[in-house]
Amino acid sequence: MSIGVLLGILLSVVLVNNLVLAGFLGICPFLGVSRKVGMAFGMGCAVTFVITVSGVVTWLIVHAVLMPIGDYFGRPDMLYFLKYVAFIMVIASMVQLVEMYLKKFSPPLYTAFGVFLPLITTNCAILGACLYIDMKSETQNLLNAAVYALGGGIGFTLAITIMAGIREHIQFSDVPKCLRGAGITLLVAGILAMAFTGFTGIGK
Amino acid sequence: MAENGSNLQQFKEGVFSNNPVLVQLLGMCPTLAVTNSLENALVMGMAVTFVVVMSNLITSLLRNLIKPHVRILIFTITIATFVTIADLALKAYLFDVARKLGAFVPLIIVNCIIICRAEVVAIKSGVSRSLADALGIGLGFTMALCILGVVREVLGSGTLLNQHVLPRDFIEGGHTWVIMVLPPGAFLTLGAVVGVVNHLRERRAKGGAA
Repeated sequence: MSIGVLLGILLSVVLVNNLVLAGFLGICPFLGVSRKVGMAFGMGCAVTFVITVSGVVTWLIVHAVLMPIGDYFGRPDMLYFLKYVAFIMVIASMVQLVEMYLKKFSPPLYTAFGVFLPLITTNCAILGACLYIDMKSETQNLLNAAVYALGGGIGFTLAITIMAGIREHIQFSDVPKCLRGAGITLLVAGILAMAFTGFTGIGK
Repeated sequence: MAENGSNLQQFKEGVFSNNPVLVQLLGMCPTLAVTNSLENALVMGMAVTFVVVMSNLITSLLRNLIKPHVRILIFTITIATFVTIADLALKAYLFDVARKLGAFVPLIIVNCIIICRAEVVAIKSGVSRSLADALGIGLGFTMALCILGVVREVLGSGTLLNQHVLPRDFIEGGHTWVIMVLPPGAFLTLGAVVGVVNHLRERRAKGGAA
């Protein structure tokens, strides 16, 4: 396993197949928590942490629990129907962990996140990354899976921070009344996604 | 939410004035991801409707047994169970579409619309009201997805439900807007549709006041 392969996976998931702008994952926080750069970056860091840990743990659950038990009975895919339930439980507990940590060590950040912290549980970027790790052929070993999850988190942070930077400027511009709020944010996201399609072809 | 208004009204609210996608802006991910053709949008809408109806039904039946501090967990597991059923059913009967939808079928688990309905309505209301609400929300979601699906499929590939609708020269000459079926097109279309809906709502509110 060379470092080049890992770098390729990282670049591909951060820029080319960015979870938010090319994969449509994690759109709710992308639209909801992208008003201020500082908060967007904090959210990005929390998501990156949860995504990396959940990616590794769910990989372990599939490869060290569900597969061996299935193999033992001669049918490797016997327990695959439990995957989704197992994945969501892991993510929910990880979010609980981050919430407890922030409450104790960084109360200002905790209050700033408010309702969005528990909502990380229903952030599809996390479950999506776990599912893609499970589906893709190149993430079938643990190291690749961890790098993929980390890259997913970094990509999310990148996208949401850029978006917050743009939105801080939009506040001062004259937007048509009916497009204020979600409308203009989606249009900007569209243009941002167009810019990111320019990365297509790197890697692979 | 008190028991005001009829079940029919609850149903209508979900479809129009309280539409989950176009008004509440929930469940954005599948809305953007699977609407590159009308077929995908329809199947996704039906899958979500099935899950929201079943989850509201179960939550409403168990509402007196569920302890408040574990309710989110119960909702999530209920939803994950029905999503697994929907996923296996789609793979068995509609394999081509299921493959195109890919990870977005299991991702229904984290669709905020469903958990929101369980929390706002089903945990506090009787079975018939919860079902009316779920059907309304499901239909509203499907409708919003279909609007996006039609716009993107016609402009992006010149077809509708895989039938050609634009002139043949137009499609074969490569004049379709490929960008509409790519990710940026999804954001742009939804942004425009939300803008139009806001405009219509504003006009209606003004008309009502005058």
